[in-house]
Amino acid sequence: MYRYDEFDENLVRQRARQFRGQVERRLSGELPEEHFKPLRLQNGVYLQLHAYMLRVAIPYGQLDGRKLRGLADIADRYDKRYGHFTTRQNIQFNWIRLEDMPEVLDRLADVGMHAIQTSGNCIRNVTSDPFAGAAADEVEDPRPWCEIIRQWSTFHPEFSHLPRKFKIAVSGGGHDRAAIRVHDIGLDLRRNSDGEIGFEVVCGGGLGRTPHVGVTVRDWISKPELLSYLEAIMRVYNRHGRRDNKYKARIKILVNELGEATFRSLVEEEFAAQNEREKVILPLAEVDRIEAYFAPPAFDAAPAASPTLDEARRLNGDLDRWARHNLRSHKAPGYTSILVSLKPLGAAPGDATSDQMRAMADIADRFAGGDIRVAHEQDLVLTHVRLEDVPAVFAALQTAGLATANGGMITDIIACPGLDYCNLANARSISVANSIQAAFSDPDLEDMIGPLHLNISGCINACGHHHVGHIGILGVDKKGEEFYQVLFGGRADERAAIGEIAGPGLKHEDIAPALKRVVQRYLSLRSSPEETFIDALERLGQAPFREALYAAS
Amino acid sequence: MSSERPKLGPDIPKVITGWNSRTGRVIYLTADRDWSESLADASVMTGDQAQEALRFASTDQVRVSDPYFMQVTQDGRISGRETLRETIRAQGPTNHPMFGKQAGDL
Ligand code: SF4
Repeated sequence: MYRYDEFDENLVRQRARQFRGQVERRLSGELPEEHFKPLRLQNGVYLQLHAYMLRVAIPYGQLDGRKLRGLADIADRYDKRYGHFTTRQNIQFNWIRLEDMPEVLDRLADVGMHAIQTSGNCIRNVTSDPFAGAAADEVEDPRPWCEIIRQWSTFHPEFSHLPRKFKIAVSGGGHDRAAIRVHDIGLDLRRNSDGEIGFEVVCGGGLGRTPHVGVTVRDWISKPELLSYLEAIMRVYNRHGRRDNKYKARIKILVNELGEATFRSLVEEEFAAQNEREKVILPLAEVDRIEAYFAPPAFDAAPAASPTLDEARRLNGDLDRWARHNLRSHKAPGYTSILVSLKPLGAAPGDATSDQMRAMADIADRFAGGDIRVAHEQDLVLTHVRLEDVPAVFAALQTAGLATANGGMITDIIACPGLDYCNLANARSISVANSIQAAFSDPDLEDMIGPLHLNISGCINACGHHHVGHIGILGVDKKGEEFYQVLFGGRADERAAIGEIAGPGLKHEDIAPALKRVVQRYLSLRSSPEETFIDALERLGQAPFREALYAAS
Repeated sequence: MSSERPKLGPDIPKVITGWNSRTGRVIYLTADRDWSESLADASVMTGDQAQEALRFASTDQVRVSDPYFMQVTQDGRISGRETLRETIRAQGPTNHPMFGKQAGDL
């Protein structure tokens, strides 16, 4: 993976020093909160319901053992021995004192980490496929391009004061596991008709108050031209994006208001007008240098199947169930990627204790070449594991409480922190997630249901991506009481769609029983056990599910 | 302000709450213009007295961040449409009973 060079290191250290001074001035009274707030936000520091919260950047979700141990140490020393992994592939600490923040930033810098690009109206931390570089179906590893975009966008003076925050996701060209169609810009590596690899450029997607699926502005752009093309988009946005109303300031509104064709022609004009000095043409040597950081490990020559694993699965039903749900195909024969669920029943989705972080680091070092990813589903991923080693990895994960067998299933719920932690929330998310998990806690029932993505947000800001869950849940406040709207039919993959609101909101205690009825209806209506929930919903439409949802009221 | 809270009429009993600037912990304004982490110590106010206290709180930046009115009953219990939010602030996250003031973690 990418390692900081001297330049990166200096930049991060300098930033931490600068923030130390700002915190001192805030605490001495020299800086009022009003002036300090934008500065703290630029360093990932929010003020939430109970305490300051620090959001740490994990560019494209890439971690290693050293970084994860560094995070565990911070959790132990300055927080409450846990951290919360987010849908932006970052981690948040919920209880850090402002006076400790400078020290925490120093400790992050010690392990090559920081909180830059985690807040504010800048280009945010770039996200990607957590299986990048390992997935059997990808055209190419997207991470070098995430890193190139990170370097290009960090503190880019022209794009530090955008109309609003700006999120870019890059996928490697197979199945879309990075939700690129609901990002401000989504990039998908693909071949053109000559077989050359470049990018499809999608723009104007997003969730929040006004959800949109992005549109393709360019079918294909070559790698050397990518940054120039991104600059053209950013310039059109910077020039035409609204600054008078923060609810209308995201690029999705601009694309929608101008219309796809006008927006595209503005971008193309801007791109064509760039003179040679303006163009950001990446020297090939630099691309090679960055790509080298992401070179795959030397895989052992191994047969595609492992008799050891097969036999262990036959003897151990728990291992077999977990392997069925949590292993993912790998491009190297004899290897697998593992989705490590952070969704044990009854816990806050995405939380990991410091002990679990250390256990993950140890397991990754021993069995996965130290490679750990954060998935936007708020789970972790071990990328390059030999099939032979899977039983040992499973046992180690079990010991750490990390072997929940629900990857991609109904209890692998995405949920934002909601009203238990978040200052902007309308309703709780975590407790709703837990009540749904309890309703579907029978593993045989979950097996029978098959893949089903359920996403929950505690307010319209949609950090829990409720619009793109097969079932989405949005917490709303009705005269001081928590209510939950249910959406059906969202998806975040290459067929991205925004879910439709089913009808009036339900009470907290009614959500789990209502979803049980919906799922029972699915089980009774599906054409075969192979027809997934989302496929059945697309075939049958919302009506039967909606009817089941409200059947008791 | 990071919190856009509902407007409360002058006659509604209220306390002033915010966050300790240094630690981020939830605090309440007391009758002697000090700050306490315990809601029981908060001064219940209405009308001009409350407005005046909020003006004071807004200038007391070293000790408090983002102070605002929070609705209570005459005897100082949390009430109104933000009852759940303010109860969670006063006690701690409902999913983590081992954290926050509910766990004696003042
Ligand atoms: S969706 Fe709303 S409640 Fe949830 S974390 Fe985001 S801002 Fe907070």
